[in-house]
Amino acid sequence: MKFTRRTILAAASATALLAQPFAAAAQELPGNVRLVIGSTSTGGDTYQNSSIVADALSEHLGINIKVDAVGATEAFKALDRDSRGTTLMIFHDQSYLGNLYGVRGYQDIFENYTVGPTVAINPGNAYLVPKDSPYQSMDDILTAAENGERVRVAIQPGGVSEIGFSAMKNAARVRAPGSEENIVAVNTGSQSDKNQAMWDDLADVINGSIQANEQFTQLPEDDQKAMEFVWITARPSTLEQAPAEGMGDTTRDELLQYASPETSVTLDGEQDFTFDKEFFFLFNPEMDPAIVEQIDTALTEIFEAGEIQERQKASFFIPNFLPSDEAREHLQNKRGTYEQVIEEISTES
Amino acid sequence: MEFFDLVTPLFLALIVGGTFVGVVFGAIPGMTATMAVAVCLPLTYSLGLENGLALLLGLYVGGISGGLVPAILLGIPGTPSSITTTFDGYPMSQKGEGEKALRIGICASFVGGIISLAALYLFAPALADFAIRFSYVEKFLIILFALTVMGALSNSMLLGIFSGFLGIFISLIGVYDISDGGNGEIRLVPPGTEYWLEGGFALLPVLIGLFGLAAILEEAERGVPEGHSADTVKLGKSSSFSFSVFRGQLVNLVRSSGIGTFVGILPGVGGSAASILAYSNAKTFSKKPESFGNGEPEGLMASEAGNNGLTGGALVPLLSLGIPGDSTTALLIGAFTLQGIQVGPLFIGNNPETWNAMIFAMVIANIAMFAMMYFAIRYFAMVVTVPKHVLFPIILMMCVIGAYTINYGIMFDVWTLLIFGLFGWLVVKLRLEVAPFIIGFILGPSAEVYFIKSLESFGDLTIFFTKSWIAMVLWVLIAGSVIGSVMLSRKRRTATEQPA
Repeated sequence: MKFTRRTILAAASATALLAQPFAAAAQELPGNVRLVIGSTSTGGDTYQNSSIVADALSEHLGINIKVDAVGATEAFKALDRDSRGTTLMIFHDQSYLGNLYGVRGYQDIFENYTVGPTVAINPGNAYLVPKDSPYQSMDDILTAAENGERVRVAIQPGGVSEIGFSAMKNAARVRAPGSEENIVAVNTGSQSDKNQAMWDDLADVINGSIQANEQFTQLPEDDQKAMEFVWITARPSTLEQAPAEGMGDTTRDELLQYASPETSVTLDGEQDFTFDKEFFFLFNPEMDPAIVEQIDTALTEIFEAGEIQERQKASFFIPNFLPSDEAREHLQNKRGTYEQVIEEISTES
Repeated sequence: MEFFDLVTPLFLALIVGGTFVGVVFGAIPGMTATMAVAVCLPLTYSLGLENGLALLLGLYVGGISGGLVPAILLGIPGTPSSITTTFDGYPMSQKGEGEKALRIGICASFVGGIISLAALYLFAPALADFAIRFSYVEKFLIILFALTVMGALSNSMLLGIFSGFLGIFISLIGVYDISDGGNGEIRLVPPGTEYWLEGGFALLPVLIGLFGLAAILEEAERGVPEGHSADTVKLGKSSSFSFSVFRGQLVNLVRSSGIGTFVGILPGVGGSAASILAYSNAKTFSKKPESFGNGEPEGLMASEAGNNGLTGGALVPLLSLGIPGDSTTALLIGAFTLQGIQVGPLFIGNNPETWNAMIFAMVIANIAMFAMMYFAIRYFAMVVTVPKHVLFPIILMMCVIGAYTINYGIMFDVWTLLIFGLFGWLVVKLRLEVAPFIIGFILGPSAEVYFIKSLESFGDLTIFFTKSWIAMVLWVLIAGSVIGSVMLSRKRRTATEQPA
């Protein structure tokens, strides 16, 4: 075969023509996407939330998205390996709190990844005491610390469970410097361990959630298992949107009594500390920005259609869509606040 | 809604279908009941609560029960909780009694499932109240009790105990996870391997590597004899199954089912401990402990009654406290949450129809499991008639797929399978013992967490003796098991020395 200039030009044009769809495909999500999450549980809130979002995105974009509960360390590794958009991640505030608390495997997500859109809030983060406890409110707890009493708080260290504990210490520091030393952590694991720590009298206060602990608050005082909320960390505006089904027999008004401003855990003597557990996307930093834009646009349309909100509410999530840019700014500000709290109590101690 | 309104043809079909799929998952090495429930959980959203639970409970019962098939026929535990089933089930299969062993296992599974279900239905809240008396100290002692079986399972006690401790040591490689209340730091990881070993070795790839791949390597080393390309094991009629095999085994079955149920109600202790404890007790109380490990039906019954006893037990803390008893029931919480239902101490009282539907679904699932496995046993047992040159590549492929999917697509799990396959092959040559090794590996992480948390919480070692009357009872059982193991070892040594 003889290669003339015309043949070469024709071949080049054909190649360019054929390559076009591939170049275009590179700017879009591929047909099969793996959505890794920072939890290993397929029964937990991260999985449920991610499934709802994955289903909606799959349907809207006509692609396959599979949620894989590989856990934080493996999820970050999988995200590091893939910049084509084949692997995406959904996680919550633990992703940056782990880094703030120096937990192994957690890098600074704002430096090492692209923070994507937020999708939902789980408003349930709470602190509880035994029903017959001498402490019936956060004020009792902080006053006790001020009076030199040691208050033991059962948490899972290094993240969402610890941030409320850090806030308690910070509030004690603001009220009476030095009293924060009397609020001490009891490091436990799962919710079961935290409950058990209370029943074994190893902890005076435990971290829990509205969903997991509300029924224990309905038990009579003489039941060893009976508990009482003392603090719900969510913003009041968040709790006002929380679906009633997830509150059990406790009314919204009753729950609001345990949240700011009725229950005050001060941040700086003026504002109250609040914490909402927010779920958001994380992307490989090298991923094409066009894909981020595609996901933002798709989610905007999905949330405008309104069906996803119903599914989220049915599972006790509060719909909370913010496009990537807004989400990044919001989460960076949030991280800044918590960083300050952690620094304050570390400096003092 | 009345209970009988819930029992529709769809409800029944979902239980039976779920049980069937569960049995298939359990029967494939590397696939577990947990995986079956995880895969089907999203389907329950559109099914509604009771129908969704019918499907999941069927999967749960089927998945736990199906594990006995590869354990008996191939010597590979289909699920971690069927580890002790391999000890006597596989030797029976090698003697041509595979079908008999399967029938014994299925009957024992059924008894275990039904007894635990009765305990769940009649005593759930009371059992949950009792379970919360078990703090870190008592849970550590239960694990220690289960670990004492290492000595009893060994041919050479010293090598057995060494192998067990080696298993514990290897199980601790990796991070002391913050989700266990640890400090998040890694230990025992050689420099340069942190990227892979941070999370340690996952249990299931280790299990199928040690029991599946290692056996294939041994067979490969032995080679296929000339002219025996279709080298098969006959199903055998040397000793056909008869219900008379259960004569005198009532105590064993009830005790083992009770142990399974009891371990199930303790959150975090884990299903594997149930069958190990049941097996250990059966051996301690047996009139012929020396035959355990060589194809003793009594051991097989104990193991299967124990691990199916877990199914009802693990639902006790879930439905009475909102706390899952094992990894599979942890997923069931997801099914409740998907339907906007909270589980906790008020669940049973507030949702009597759902509660009754769950119990009914469990009864039907157990009956369906029994029927489909008992009468289909011939077909299951046919697997041993498949020529090994065909069977082994299939098993290997299933092992690799199972290892890769168990943690939702982590390639290091496949390497773990291969590493422990080679290790299992070498262990035999080094005269170490696989059974105590794997028991140490399974129980090591729990033993560590409960031991450290006991000391962190209560201060010093005396707490293990002074914490409660439960702790004292457990010490008596531990002492009894150790003494029993030593006596058995001496008896075995005397028997070996006599012919010489």
